[in-house]
Amino acid sequence: MPPLPSRMTKNREQPTRYRPGKAETDEPESEDESEADDEIADEAAPKAPPPKATSFPSKKKLAVDLSKAGQQVTTTPAPPEKPPEDDLEGFVTASEEEEESGSEEGSSDDDDGSAEEDESSDDEPKKPMLRPTFISKAKRGQQGATAAQKTAEDLAAEEEVKRKAKADELLQAQLEREAAAKAAGRRAWDDDAEINPEDEVNDTDDLDPEAERAAWKLRELKRVRRDRMAIEEKEKEREEIERRRNMTVEEREEEDKVYIAAQQEEREGKGQMGFMQKYFHKGAFFGADDTQDEEVKAALTRDMAGAKVADEASDKSVLPEYMRIRDMTQLGRKGRTKYKDLKEEDTGRWGVEGSRKGRGGDGLDERFRPDDRRDGGQEQTGANAMAVGQRRPREENGDGDRSEKRARYD
Amino acid sequence: MAHQADEKRMLDDRGYTGTLIRGANPLLLFEKPVRDRIVESMYWKEQCFGLNAATLCDRAVELENIGGIYGAAQKPSKFLCLAFKLLQLTPERDIVLHYLRQQEWKYLRALAAFYIRLCWQPKEIFETLEPFLADYRKLKRRAREGFALTYVDQFVDDLLTKDRVCATSLWKLPPRTQLEDLDVLEPRISPLGEELEDIDADRQDGRTEDDSGSDVEVLDDGHGLGNGHDHDNDTDVDGD
Repeated sequence: MPPLPSRMTKNREQPTRYRPGKAETDEPESEDESEADDEIADEAAPKAPPPKATSFPSKKKLAVDLSKAGQQVTTTPAPPEKPPEDDLEGFVTASEEEEESGSEEGSSDDDDGSAEEDESSDDEPKKPMLRPTFISKAKRGQQGATAAQKTAEDLAAEEEVKRKAKADELLQAQLEREAAAKAAGRRAWDDDAEINPEDEVNDTDDLDPEAERAAWKLRELKRVRRDRMAIEEKEKEREEIERRRNMTVEEREEEDKVYIAAQQEEREGKGQMGFMQKYFHKGAFFGADDTQDEEVKAALTRDMAGAKVADEASDKSVLPEYMRIRDMTQLGRKGRTKYKDLKEEDTGRWGVEGSRKGRGGDGLDERFRPDDRRDGGQEQTGANAMAVGQRRPREENGDGDRSEKRARYD
Repeated sequence: MAHQADEKRMLDDRGYTGTLIRGANPLLLFEKPVRDRIVESMYWKEQCFGLNAATLCDRAVELENIGGIYGAAQKPSKFLCLAFKLLQLTPERDIVLHYLRQQEWKYLRALAAFYIRLCWQPKEIFETLEPFLADYRKLKRRAREGFALTYVDQFVDDLLTKDRVCATSLWKLPPRTQLEDLDVLEPRISPLGEELEDIDADRQDGRTEDDSGSDVEVLDDGHGLGNGHDHDNDTDVDGD
């Protein structure tokens, strides 16, 4: 990796302005790009080798073949260590070159650079492409001598062979991959191969003909029985209707009483709703029957009334008054005015402190009594409970009072 | 009209000139969210484009499961996509009957049964589908999560009785009893036929012999009737 610029930006340093009276700081002022780069390069070389072509992402490094983009392909693991010859055409590493030619070196700073080059290039796949490297004048002479030993033709031939071998390998790999994909029958839309084998249900027939036939018989019988039961039910219903019609009124009432008593028992048997729980009743017509889709049934028979948020307090009576809200999301909102209950908010005094003495009342309900008796006491409720105060005595001063009010013009 | 790879135009009601099923565009038999999922699925776009009745068979024989919508993203099953395609094509009666009656591919049969249930008249539905209550081959059904095992006869029975099968609200079918009352249909004769009569006879005998109401009866293998039978005080329950 190239050495990071100290300012973490690629923008050039702007020259600092001259401000009279301020001491000049020692910052690198207007610099050319090349100068900056040279500096960086020079500084970088002893620290880390300059980026090589080998460090660029190669095709081989991608686990997924981009030509197959759009299809679901299992990621083949990146091909394991390749022999140095297994490279894309064209690139040779410096170390390879060194092996062959033995003399080219990577940077102007020779020893350090070459040593580091060796290390870095050993990690990366070697590419046969000749990387343009800078050789200082001093070295040029030396290298020229050694390079002459190997002729250009030999080099070319070797590279040729290597390139061919590599291309063949690549092609082979591609073909294999295509064949595998076809064999597996994978398509983009086909995710059947992702099914967990445990979930698989075996639908081959004739595994056990007798058992299958027996199972079928059972099903068929159940169906027949279901049909018959339906008919029977209808019959029973009709009979019941007939019977009730033929009974007298008293008998009907007796039966009704028994039925209602049974219902009451049932209702009492059910538990009370918790203190301030949310209550939601789905409605009278929502019943679960067999013809319903299982998902619809599950959705409809969800427990709404008992549903609680995970950390909701189940018993609100232990909470402080402030927190006794039906909907906990409203906690802390809208000040302290919190509508809890109609009962709490009601300012009337219903059945309070002897207001009901059974005053005869003409046998009427409280609501229907005549409201003549307004002479104070418990009849007055709510806002009307306050007695009307006396009139403030006004001094009758005759015309003098007129000044207090607006002047009247006759 | 420029040829469009997207078949959304078929869903457009305006100017629809094809066959009407239940008085409307047959594609509207599927619900809107289901339609959307199907039309946007890869299988539909890649494989179901430009099919005709014959090439649809090719796809159908590759079917491996029936099912509606599955997964968190509500992906439609291939069965559903092909059923949608059948609705789009509205093939002729004979073709559909052939799909149904061929013996070799059970999923194609299931597909045809589904189509018939959606599109034909009640009398024809009952008459055509009831014989297949005798087919006890296994089917793999893809539920929302995971798979379930079902049978062809079970599937046909669901089609005839349930309201919602394979993510589709089926058109409401008048119950068989109603049609029998109207004399449109004959009462159903179960494929068990004679065996059923034998069982009835057994039950009758068993009851008259043993009046204490015990339900121990000697019956065929795997018989559920004896166990679950109610204790009836009437003795005239089984009139037939």
